Amino acid sequence: MLITGIKSRPVYDELTPMATGLSHVAAAQGSGGGVLVRLLGEMTPEQLATTTVLYSTESFTGKNHLADLQAFPVRELLVFPSNTEAVRGLDAFLLTAEMGTRLYLSGSEGFIGTSMQVATSYGMNTDEVLREHAGSFVRRVWCAHCSHYSENVTRRVFRCPGCERDLVVRDHYSRRLAAFQGVKADGEVPGELPDDEELDT
Amino acid sequence: MSEAQHGSLRLRVDRIEPVTPEINRYTLSAEDGSWLPPFSGGSHVRVLIPFDDGQTRRNAYSLMSSPYDTSKYQIAVRRIHDGKRGSITLHEKVREGDALLVTTPANLFPLSKHARHHVFIAGGVGVTPIYSQLDELNLKGGSFELHLAVRGPEHATLGRELQEIYGERVRLYGDGDGSRLNASDVLAGRPLGTHAYVCGPARMVDDVIGAAHAHGWTDSNIHFERFEDLGSTGAPFSVTLARSGAVIEVSPEQSLLEAVEEAGHKLPYLCRGGACGECETEVLELDGSIDHRDDWLSESDRCTNKLIMPCVSRATCTKIVINA
Repeated sequence: MLITGIKSRPVYDELTPMATGLSHVAAAQGSGGGVLVRLLGEMTPEQLATTTVLYSTESFTGKNHLADLQAFPVRELLVFPSNTEAVRGLDAFLLTAEMGTRLYLSGSEGFIGTSMQVATSYGMNTDEVLREHAGSFVRRVWCAHCSHYSENVTRRVFRCPGCERDLVVRDHYSRRLAAFQGVKADGEVPGELPDDEELDT
Repeated sequence: MSEAQHGSLRLRVDRIEPVTPEINRYTLSAEDGSWLPPFSGGSHVRVLIPFDDGQTRRNAYSLMSSPYDTSKYQIAVRRIHDGKRGSITLHEKVREGDALLVTTPANLFPLSKHARHHVFIAGGVGVTPIYSQLDELNLKGGSFELHLAVRGPEHATLGRELQEIYGERVRLYGDGDGSRLNASDVLAGRPLGTHAYVCGPARMVDDVIGAAHAHGWTDSNIHFERFEDLGSTGAPFSVTLARSGAVIEVSPEQSLLEAVEEAGHKLPYLCRGGACGECETEVLELDGSIDHRDDWLSESDRCTNKLIMPCVSRATCTKIVINA
């Protein structure tokens, strides 16, 4: 569900071509590929000719939109086997990108968040970027004790692979870290764990 | 540190230097030698210019001295024959050793803290706010360049002074070599995260904004200050302070906050530029409309007409009562 009571969770946009941009870069992962198909379908031939698409086929839900993306006459389509490599590809693209570039992101919250970290490091502003969430709301969690990042967390209580502590996932999202915060679950009374539950993925 | 009395500081004119045929630089310090209120790069003050007939004009001038040395303020005043006689009076009547009333600094032209590169474009005396901005960036280690257009070699003193300090990062146009500043060329092909700042005559500001948009820049990377207007000026109006019942006239060149301070009342403030929210004040009665000019209130707050930011916003009204 997109609507949650979590105030710190980013409010996502709907991807639509930004007409004032002179160059476009659209990065997506898994289900986000479907969103890009819609976005590219709304672009003019001139916009398509100045668009680079980065697509990661890694997916939590198993959706792959590569074949549909290949149908568009874009400037460049770069395919990556993992989200980490796609984010690295985005970093390499932005390194030489010029003012007038517009960025479109779609996919899981972790993918959008880590891509935003890269965009921010290049000084991109919110009026140069659109983000649309797609697929599952699995969470990326940062461990407050060992700083390990866990991807695709679906349960309220889980064991941190970094430090083996049982963590409770708080409904607190950090844009800087692009992750929810996980803290020791039995910090108050050792051995007393809170109720586990399926997160609102 | 010197504190403002009735909204203004009483400063001594230590030095007056003619820097071009039209521009004088004034160095001001506290009469008792104490530190002046701190400011950031791009800030301005208003100088209260007394006329023989008892009237006062309030002209805004950018601070061009270093933000890291508050033992003095420096301003540059260009003699303008606009019929208002403010700058002419400063040039002709004020002498070294005189006292001047000057408002607390405010910044409507601050540096972006997230920029990867800063490009400054200025015309003539428009270089003055950039002086303090470059000082700030130089100390913080920011990457920058300045493109300054002047009308001829005799008007290029300030530009050459900056070239002495910053070398090739300062490019002069019109200093006798026939070069012309072309905003589109300056802004073309810039890396992501570049911010542009322009200060000068209206046509130059419009040119730069137009060129930036044509290169696909969004507004958050374009910063400007025009000679003609400063954020808080406008038509005169009067305001009633609910607690004391005082009725205060706000003149065209002063902000609501400055008028209240001049009348001897206090309002909370920090940035004096509509950004921080400190001066947010409740509007108890209004017969007219509020001209919101701040970056603080949300669109829904504005629509209620129940809040005003006195440091920059004004009102077009027959009556406004604020909770102060």
